Amino acid sequence: MRLPMHSLGRHHLAWGLIAAGAVALVAYAEGHLSGYERTVLGFAGIYAMLAISLSFSNGLTGLFSLGHPAFMMVGGYVAAILTFPANRKGFMLPGLPDWLATVQWPLFPATLAGGLAAALVAAVVGFPVLRLRGHYLAVATLGLIVILRTVVNNANDVTRGALGLNGIPRHTDLWWILAWLAVALLVCWRLKHSSVGRSLLAIRENEMAAACMGVPRARAKLAAFALGAFFAGVGGALWAHLLTNLTPGSFGITLAFMLVVMVVVGGSGSLVGAALAAVAVTLLGEALRPLEQAAGAYGLVQILIALLLIATLLLRPQGFFGSAEPSFLRPRPRAGAADPGAPGPHSRAEEREMSP
Amino acid sequence: MTTGYLLQQLINGLVMGSVYALVAVGFSMIYGIVRLINFAHGDVLMVCAFSAFAVLLVFGLPLWAAVLAVLTVGAILAMLIDLVAFRPQRAAPQVNGFITSLGVAILMQNLAVLLLSGQPRPFNLPTWLRTNLDVLGARMTVLEVVTVGLTLAVLAGLLFFVRRTRLGIAMRATAENPTAARLMGVRVNRAISTAFALGGALAGLAGLLWAGRAGQIDPLMGFVPGLKAFVAAVIGGVGSLAGAVLGGYLLGFAEVFFVGLLPPGYGSFRDAFVFGLLILILLVLPNGLLGRPAEERA
Amino acid sequence: MRFRSLLAAAGAIALAGGFLPAQAQEPIRVAALYALTGGLSSLDGPSLKGAELHVEQINEAGGLLGRPLELVVYDTRTDQQVTATTAQEAVSAGVVAGFGQSDTTFVMAAAPTFQDAGIPFVTSGATHPMLPTWVGENMFMTAFGDDDQSYAIADYAYDTLGHRRVYVWTDDSMDFTRALTFFFKERFLERGGEIIDEDFFMMGDTDFSAQIARLEAVDPVPDAVFISAIPSEAGLSIRQIREAGITMPIISGDGFDTELVATVPGPELANDVFFSTHTYLADDRPEVQEFIDAYTAKFGHPPENSFAPLGYDAIGLIANAIRQAGSAEPEAIREAMTATRDYPAVTGVVSYTRENMVPPKPVSIISVQGAQFNVEEIWRPE
Repeated sequence: MRLPMHSLGRHHLAWGLIAAGAVALVAYAEGHLSGYERTVLGFAGIYAMLAISLSFSNGLTGLFSLGHPAFMMVGGYVAAILTFPANRKGFMLPGLPDWLATVQWPLFPATLAGGLAAALVAAVVGFPVLRLRGHYLAVATLGLIVILRTVVNNANDVTRGALGLNGIPRHTDLWWILAWLAVALLVCWRLKHSSVGRSLLAIRENEMAAACMGVPRARAKLAAFALGAFFAGVGGALWAHLLTNLTPGSFGITLAFMLVVMVVVGGSGSLVGAALAAVAVTLLGEALRPLEQAAGAYGLVQILIALLLIATLLLRPQGFFGSAEPSFLRPRPRAGAADPGAPGPHSRAEEREMSP
Repeated sequence: MTTGYLLQQLINGLVMGSVYALVAVGFSMIYGIVRLINFAHGDVLMVCAFSAFAVLLVFGLPLWAAVLAVLTVGAILAMLIDLVAFRPQRAAPQVNGFITSLGVAILMQNLAVLLLSGQPRPFNLPTWLRTNLDVLGARMTVLEVVTVGLTLAVLAGLLFFVRRTRLGIAMRATAENPTAARLMGVRVNRAISTAFALGGALAGLAGLLWAGRAGQIDPLMGFVPGLKAFVAAVIGGVGSLAGAVLGGYLLGFAEVFFVGLLPPGYGSFRDAFVFGLLILILLVLPNGLLGRPAEERA
Repeated sequence: MRFRSLLAAAGAIALAGGFLPAQAQEPIRVAALYALTGGLSSLDGPSLKGAELHVEQINEAGGLLGRPLELVVYDTRTDQQVTATTAQEAVSAGVVAGFGQSDTTFVMAAAPTFQDAGIPFVTSGATHPMLPTWVGENMFMTAFGDDDQSYAIADYAYDTLGHRRVYVWTDDSMDFTRALTFFFKERFLERGGEIIDEDFFMMGDTDFSAQIARLEAVDPVPDAVFISAIPSEAGLSIRQIREAGITMPIISGDGFDTELVATVPGPELANDVFFSTHTYLADDRPEVQEFIDAYTAKFGHPPENSFAPLGYDAIGLIANAIRQAGSAEPEAIREAMTATRDYPAVTGVVSYTRENMVPPKPVSIISVQGAQFNVEEIWRPE
């Protein structure tokens, strides 16, 4: 995997500015904004990371997976059980084995464990399930949400069932979210613009041709699926430590749809687009709330967002960025090299995204 | 576990399956022709249920008026949604339609909550429909008999329609290849509108039966039927009408059996078992029960 | 931070200006967190209306400490993330107290934030007896605990109705309904009764035919079926059971306190239903009738369910605490709340006398016959 690093291009400057801006924003927020404002920004960041990872597994690879909330649940619960104060863990979760009941980890290893657990579940589940395509995969991954929720709901001694876990230490702050967001963006970006990304794109465009060209389809799809699940698990862990509260109902079918919305509105396959759409939707929802309160018309925000959604798709069906990343962030391709981030001969393929 | 008990559960599954089949087939009809997952389908059902409520319980009109109302409201509403939200998107990627229909669904739900309040309302069909009959030792209400019979009749009628009538054939042609159909002189837009109208009418009928069976309506009641329609249609094989029906019945039986035939303590695992079963089916038949791998585009 | 001190300075100047009419004073702001959209809106909506009624009455009478009372309303959308975020927003907006939420799960999404900020939170409708223990000293309940109400209905079933063998149905998706079943079984078995078996369903289910078929098949016929459900499933389950020709008594807790229990089955089928609930219907204390009349006058229809007076009482408790403390500071409000004794709430007199801070409140046993509600008994705590 090689990127043209021969000179400091325009895109390096753009990334540098964005990184500096993000760091400045977080520094300002942590120092000057209220708990509520920081929480909203926190969720915007988490959603952005979730959208990026979904854009990678769904948009780039063409998988129609609605399973993200299930992986968030795995990551969230695993991390929460690990960070839960040891003095309360024993009697609140009597079913835990002793070694688990006595440990109390800090956020980073717990988040990592959550992400890995989610990736493991994805790998195990993906093995049979990823043979399915399109809407069939959607239903199967939807089933995953339901099955996992039922399991968590009934494993009272380990998860406290319907009551859920509360009093989870509020470890998540904007720095952690920024860090993980950066990692997700970096990893997915690098993979997307590498031969791995090109293999995934080939699978999306035409699986049979890709197989003929020697692309290891099953392994590639599994890897993309597991990677998406890893970041979903991390997202769930960060979520749990931001909200301090986790129940089997925390991550449901509606969330799955919302994430797909963010990916499509941002442009399937565009990582930056997905992130921006996620942030926009989250902040818009919060910004419009005073309107709803003033009018006493509850449900107005949802209606407005739905209308905006419909309008956006009518006016710009390929999403904001289509499959391309914004041009000033992409390295200028060397003559003759293919750039999976740009439109071109692939444009017709966009019409067949996620076809069954 | 007596035969009487088994028979009763069988009948329960049959009735639930019929309602699911009705919702699923309307959903599949729309999918078949425009490749659109219509999440607003469940909310069309909800609006029709409320229309029936208005006709029967607010205006006090007889049952046939309510039936007429749900069919008409369903058809018109569905066609309207197509005209306003989906037609402008014909050329866009498939998943856009999915998201647009989601947007329409959210819109309808929240408008309903805003205008009608979130409180559930009782919904009672005329008493003669709710009397119990003895069927081979098991119990069925008249409504249940009507539900099963109506579903089968409607499905037979649909089959006839798509096989024998011009409009039906036009719809199938459009579903297979809109461009070729247009070249052959088929009025594609009309065929599509008909599909939506039929789908909406079926949703309306399902809404009447669903509400009548449950006894209660509320603005959010469309979410569950919409989801079941999606699941049933996919299991049956997306785009296949017969498959949607089969999927609906399979879903109905599975739900009843996982509660009725397993020891009571497993009742809370019902949804997990049902989905587990569905996933297993998909693994064996990756294109659903009757689906064709026709979407392979080289 | 600067904004806060500015506000304090302005407030001080205003106060120093002498006694001013309530309208000209800085309002006392209290946050109301309710799910006005989504699945719990049928409970939370009426609660908010009850609260708004009370605020209107308080302000018409001159406000609190000479200042108008102002509700800052947040729609929590029956969504945990939204509930937690709005709790954050409320706390950051500088409210002196918060109240709301009818369900334990959602209270737990909001209350810890208030606890951490040192601001009292009063849940109007949640009934889990462990809530104050779990959250902390800033958590207050308006209603009785599930243990109290379950014991009351279990005792009534055993003693008055003479039931010995009961079948139990539980909504397994909600913590409230699980707790209700847990305490009912505990008490009923303790008294010497028998739980024949248990069946489960989920919030959102509209069809109970499978469970009904199993209930029908039980031999010998149970004395009663205990159904732990919330309003959206309450009416449905009664109607479908009765429609199947099953006549055994149906018993439950305050999840059955809704007109749906009468209207969905209708007059022919709404029979032999017994449930425990917050005392207000058919209670002859003057507070109750005054509330019902005022509510009907303001909203054009009588209270939808007992969650309406609970909302009325929640803000009432806060207002009472403010008056008792002579201050609208969160710390003072909390102390006064903890010291609340004999507050004449619509749903029964409230005193936080127990160590677990669950108010011992009277439990009404209501029967439904021919779609008419009758108070059978009022169980009063010691």
